[in-house]
Amino acid sequence: MTGSNETRTDERATIARLTDEVVPTLIERLTRSDLGEIEVRQDGWRVRLRRGSGDVVAAAGHATGQTQHHKPAAVAHAADAQPRREPVRGQVSSPAVGYFTPRDGVAVGGRLRKGDLIGVVDMLGVRQDVISPIDGVLKQIEVESGQAVEFGQAIGRVEGNV
Amino acid sequence: MFSRILIANRGEIALRIVRACRSMGITSVVAYSEADRESRAVQLADEAICVGPAESRRSYLSAPSILSAAIVAGCEAIHPGYGFLSEDDTFAEMTRAHGLTFIGPSPEVLERFASKAGTRTLLAKHGLPTIPGSGMLRDDAHGMAEADKIGYPVLIKPSAGGGGKGMRMVRSPRELQQAMTICRSEALAAFGDDSLYLEKWLEDNRHVEVQVMVDRFGNGVHVGERDCSVQRRHQKLLEEAPSPALNAEQRAALLDAAIKAVVAAGYENVGTLEFLLDRQGNWYFIEINCRIQVEHPVTEMISGLDIVAEQIRIAAGEPLSVKQSDIELKGHAIEFRINAEDVAHDFRPAAGRIETYLAPGGPGVRMDSHLYSGYDVPPYYDSLLGKLIVWGPDRATAIARSRAALDELVVDGVVTNVPLHRALLANEAFLNGEFTTNLLDRVGSAAFMAAADAAA
Repeated sequence: MTGSNETRTDERATIARLTDEVVPTLIERLTRSDLGEIEVRQDGWRVRLRRGSGDVVAAAGHATGQTQHHKPAAVAHAADAQPRREPVRGQVSSPAVGYFTPRDGVAVGGRLRKGDLIGVVDMLGVRQDVISPIDGVLKQIEVESGQAVEFGQAIGRVEGNV
Repeated sequence: MFSRILIANRGEIALRIVRACRSMGITSVVAYSEADRESRAVQLADEAICVGPAESRRSYLSAPSILSAAIVAGCEAIHPGYGFLSEDDTFAEMTRAHGLTFIGPSPEVLERFASKAGTRTLLAKHGLPTIPGSGMLRDDAHGMAEADKIGYPVLIKPSAGGGGKGMRMVRSPRELQQAMTICRSEALAAFGDDSLYLEKWLEDNRHVEVQVMVDRFGNGVHVGERDCSVQRRHQKLLEEAPSPALNAEQRAALLDAAIKAVVAAGYENVGTLEFLLDRQGNWYFIEINCRIQVEHPVTEMISGLDIVAEQIRIAAGEPLSVKQSDIELKGHAIEFRINAEDVAHDFRPAAGRIETYLAPGGPGVRMDSHLYSGYDVPPYYDSLLGKLIVWGPDRATAIARSRAALDELVVDGVVTNVPLHRALLANEAFLNGEFTTNLLDRVGSAAFMAAADAAA
C-alpha cells in the first residue's frame, strides 16, 4: 500500500512539474523557434509539443487533408505527458467520430500488414483512414458499412502472427 | 424547442447544461475527450460520444469533430458552454451551415462583438463610457506613442483574449517596450492572434459586470450586476451579487445604461458586460462576454432564474420567459471557485485522484461540481473543480453561511485553494466590501494568508 501511495505521490509531483514548469517552457521555446516539434523524455515521461496550424500528424490513422482548426498547438495541454492507455493488441480503432465505410476487398480472414487501409471514417466529408495496427489476419469487423462510430471505438480485430 | 442537444464541453459546466436539459425535457448528449470518459457529465447525460483524444485541440477545440458528433448523434443544437468554442464565430457559422443551431449569439452577432476594441467603440456610440485606450497597435512605436497619450500606468491587452490571459500592467515606457514583446508571443501562443491594444490602468478599481439576456425579438432584460473584484493576476476567485460598492442610484444607472446599449447595438442571447469601477464610483465599459459565464449561478441565486435554460430558449427562437418588471433580485449570493491549485506554491495546478469528496449543504448552499470520490482529475484542462455558491438574505448572513459551507466541504487527494477562500472571509477589506482587483497581487497571497491566520 505504502509503495503504491508513494508511486502515486511521485506521479502527482511529476504531473505538477510537467504542467507547471516543463510544458510552459516548451511552449515558449516552440513559439519563439521555427521548430515544428519539440520532444522531451525523462524518467519514463514523454512530452511532445507540435505546432498546430496546417499540420499533418504523423501518427497512425490520420489522413492528410484533414480539416484542421487553425489554432496553435501551444495552447495544448501536456497531451502526451501521461502514458496512453494502450488499446488491446490488434484492435482496429476509429480515428474519428463519423460514419464508417470498409475498403473494397477487405474481408474477415484476409492478411494485412501494419498500416494497411481497412476502411475510412467520414468526418464531415473528410475521410480519416482506418488502418491495421499490426501484421496479421483480420479476425473480425464489428461495424457495418455506413454505421456511426465515435473516436477510439473498436472497429475490428487483427490477430498477429504469434 | 430542441429535442436533442450536444454539449461540447466538460467539467462542471457540462454537468450544469445536462441539468438544464433534463429540467426542460431535452435529451442531452455529452461530447467528451478520451481523458473524460469517467467524468460525471458523461455518467449523468442521456448519451455520450467520444470526439477525440485528451488534447483539447483535437477534441473540445476541434470544430469538425464536434460537428460530426452532433450530426452522428442526431442533435439539433450544440451548447458550447464557456471557453473552448463558445465565442468562435467561425464555429458558429459552421454549425449553421450544417443545419444545426449554435446555442449562443448568431455568427453575425459574434463577429460584430469579436474585437474588443471594436466593441468598445460600438457600445460607446450607444452611450457607455469607456476607459481611455488605444486602437489595435500597429507596432511597438505606435504602442509607445499611444501610451504617452493615455498616460501611465497602462494595461496591455490581447485583442483575442479572455479570462485575463496575456494581460500586463506597465508603469513606464521601458517596461512597456519589454512587455509588448512578451505579450505578443503569449497572445500568439494562447489565441493564435498577437494583436494588442492598450488601456488606461485605474488604480484600486473594482470589477463589476452586468448580466443581460436578449431574445431574437429585441426584448432585453438585465439580471443585476456581479462584483468580481477578488482576483489574482486577473483571474477571478470569488464573485458576489449585488456589488457592495454600488449604491441604489449608481446601480440603477449602470444597469439601465448597460441593457439599453446592448439592445441598441443588436446583441442577442445571454451575455455579460464587464465594467471597471473607480474609487469615485465612475464606471467604464471594458468588454462583453458573448456566452454563459462561470459565475452565472450568483445571479441565478438572487433572481431565481435559470440562465442556461433562458439561453437555450433564446437560441430556439422563443421569446424570453420574463420581462424586466418580473425580475426581482433578492438577498446576497457569493460564489467561491474551488480550484485544484496549491496556494502555498504559487498556485501550481494539481491533478490526481479525489480520494473523498463531500459537498456542503444547508439553507442557501449550492455546489456545482463534477467531482466524486474516486474521480481522477485529468492534468490536461483548467483547474476548476467546482463552484460553491451561497445565498443569504443579506451579505453578513451569506458570509456566515459561506464559512460553514467551506468548513463542510471535503476534497481529499488533490490540493485546493479553499484555504485562500477562508482567508478572504477573514479579511477586513473583503468584509467591509472594499476589495479591489489588485489587492491580492499587491499584498501577495502568502502575506495575505499569514495575515488571516494571525487574525484568526
